[in-house]
Amino acid sequence: MSIQLGVPAVNRFRSRKPLSRFAVVSLRLRLLTGVVLLVAWEVSANLFAPAHVARPSNVVMVLPAVFSDPQFWASAGSTIVAVLEGLLIGVVLGVIVGLAMGRLRVLEHALKFYVQALFTLPIVALLPLIIMWFGYSSATRLFIVVIGSFLPVAMNAFDGSRFIPREYLEVALSYRAQWWRVWFGVALPSSLAYLLSGIRLAAGRALVGAVVAEFMVGIDGLGYYILSNSQSFKQNEAMVAVLLLTLIGVVLNFGTDAAVRRFLSWYRRGL
Amino acid sequence: VSTVKPLTTRSGIVASMAVRNARIVGFALLPGALLWEVIGRTAPSSIFAPLSSTVGALGGLFGSGELFHALGESGLLYLAGVGSALVVGAFFGILLARVTKLRVGVEPYVNALYATPMVALIPFILSTLGLGFTPKALLVFLFAVFPILVITMEGARSVSVELLEVARSFHSNEYSLWIHLIIPHTLPFVASGLRQAIARGLVGVISAEFFLSASGLGELLRLKADLFQTAEVLAVTLVVTLLGVLLMDFGRRLENRFATWRS
Repeated sequence: MSIQLGVPAVNRFRSRKPLSRFAVVSLRLRLLTGVVLLVAWEVSANLFAPAHVARPSNVVMVLPAVFSDPQFWASAGSTIVAVLEGLLIGVVLGVIVGLAMGRLRVLEHALKFYVQALFTLPIVALLPLIIMWFGYSSATRLFIVVIGSFLPVAMNAFDGSRFIPREYLEVALSYRAQWWRVWFGVALPSSLAYLLSGIRLAAGRALVGAVVAEFMVGIDGLGYYILSNSQSFKQNEAMVAVLLLTLIGVVLNFGTDAAVRRFLSWYRRGL
Repeated sequence: VSTVKPLTTRSGIVASMAVRNARIVGFALLPGALLWEVIGRTAPSSIFAPLSSTVGALGGLFGSGELFHALGESGLLYLAGVGSALVVGAFFGILLARVTKLRVGVEPYVNALYATPMVALIPFILSTLGLGFTPKALLVFLFAVFPILVITMEGARSVSVELLEVARSFHSNEYSLWIHLIIPHTLPFVASGLRQAIARGLVGVISAEFFLSASGLGELLRLKADLFQTAEVLAVTLVVTLLGVLLMDFGRRLENRFATWRS
């Protein structure tokens, strides 16, 4: 009887192969910590903070109202479109400029200094200047997003296309490849790893750029939604927008990885 | 730069630096300055100002003491935010590395916060904590703390098991374990985290001064932009750019110093 009891126990344990004991324990620990954190937030908000300060229970309660509010989705759409649009322009420009800097010595000397200096500058600091150029309009937001995504992509495309394996270039040369084929057929694919980390950096900066532009310019979008709601004592509604913003950031990162797996499946195969 | 020979002599290094500097001046700075001047003279004055008047504005801002005042205010905010982030991030990074249960539980939430765009939290800080120095320092802290925390934790976890076992077999208590083994091992990682925090801290300072109570370089930028004093706006932007370059350079040196010290 005792053996009969023991055997299935071992079998049951073995049959759960995908979830190891450690994974189960750590998952439980993580969920528990999450609950503790949420309760701590709720309790401390109830004890120390005024009523308008966001707390988990209220955020959950306002979810249906926020999700059925067309204004919320219009704001989200406005920000997402601006980020994607600016990201696309910034990435294309960044790839072209970065490749040109990596392949042409003159351009490297002329532009590297400026690209590096602007890369270290917080793009938020450019807002007042850009508002002077484009006024309080959505063009300011687009411009900030373009600059924010252009710089990291250009830096990384430059770094990646500078050190192409010699053999690749010699093969291309011996087949008399035209220069654009060397740029986009050899240099671009071989700097893909750099480019990807550049694009990931760009996605984060694009999102942040859009939000700060909306703060200062006051155009419709998730950043402005957060600002106006928290100013009118609706922090819970604003918190939903923050969660969506974080989600967009995560999706952008996953989207980059998924696009690479889908369209550039040869990449990583050798790694 | 593929044909660079290994330079060992000091004079060789100095000569190559001179060539590099001459290149930067000849190919980048001179044409850039010329372009800036030409664009500044042709564009309407509300949009762009020539380099000459930007330099003049810079001199004016220095002379009136406005710029020194702004640099002082921003510098204090920066030091308060990044300094507290260094202390908190390094301590909790090591603590999380030592206490496995705490780390496993907290890690996903730390990563989630790390991924959250911090600027989105500004309105909450504003409407909960109001104006003043502390909310601004809190924002800079939030910008700077996560890279230090995460990288310190990874570093402190990489202490070799053999060393830990030797320490334990000599009945080392947790305190002397930290002092003699973990902290010396982890310092280069803290320096790497600090390099990232240094860059993010500057973003935090400018954002705080724009969107929380106005002060320092952020206030100066907005003030001059509202008055459409283009040359002054360009001058302050130039100062912030220079500050960014210097800070990044400092961070890189710090990281390299500890990196060589590690090996």
